[in-house]
Amino acid sequence: MNPDSPNQRPQLRQNQNQDAEQNLAEQTAATQQAAALEFATGEEAIRRDAAQTPLPPAIAERLRKSIENEPKQSESWWKKIFGS
Amino acid sequence: MPALIDERPVEPQPESIDPDAPLPVRVPLEPRELAAIYEEHARAIYYLALRMLGDPTQAEDATHDVFLKAYRKLDDFKHQSSIRTWLYRITINHCQNLLQTWHRRHIFTTDDEAICERTASSAESPLRILETKELGERIQKTLDALPEEYGLLLMLVADEKLSYDEVGALTSQSADAVRGKLHRARKAFAAHFHQTA
Repeated sequence: MNPDSPNQRPQLRQNQNQDAEQNLAEQTAATQQAAALEFATGEEAIRRDAAQTPLPPAIAERLRKSIENEPKQSESWWKKIFGS
Repeated sequence: MPALIDERPVEPQPESIDPDAPLPVRVPLEPRELAAIYEEHARAIYYLALRMLGDPTQAEDATHDVFLKAYRKLDDFKHQSSIRTWLYRITINHCQNLLQTWHRRHIFTTDDEAICERTASSAESPLRILETKELGERIQKTLDALPEEYGLLLMLVADEKLSYDEVGALTSQSADAVRGKLHRARKAFAAHFHQTA
């Protein structure tokens, strides 16, 4: 069925309006939830900030490459003496 | 100014026994072991570097460098502190060296006391934010305005995996001194935080 046919356009517009209203409602709810944030101490605020700060995934890959380029570590003194 | 943190081994203390158990044996670090350590601690290390340096790219570099140092120096790990405390120590020293190089260290002046006095009432009131996304920016501004020692103290105390003894060991003071300074640090943080609104 062609969605651009004259008969379908009002239905399409209604769906779009419903989607827009739903998005607006979700955004409003999210804003209201964020507005409720309150911290008694600095470390509480820092704890929340730390929890919402993502770790950049690029670090792990970069570290892996760096370690690959590291010279192989020599055995520890105890391992040489006592074995593994 | 001398570094706030030194590399001396931390004396074992009963209260500092941590579920972040040190590795059971002293062996050269295998990549898979580093991966497990990275998985558990990288986020905390990155966050500390981010807030100390105030720049995401530099914090990425610092996090990479800290774990590479850990990989190279695990044989130096004394097992008298937890891995997390050891990684924090490397991070703090690394970031402080960078800050010294950049001449970006903050100097503690009486301005902070003055701000606390002027905004005494706001320093006691809760810290409110309107949107989650603004939290990071305001915390960064607040930490930048605080004496380095206060900011570091608050960031370490915010990590619930660290005991006061471990925070004290990382900042070269007793747990009692940490508790005493924490009160002043909280007050200064609140005063500056309200000003960032």
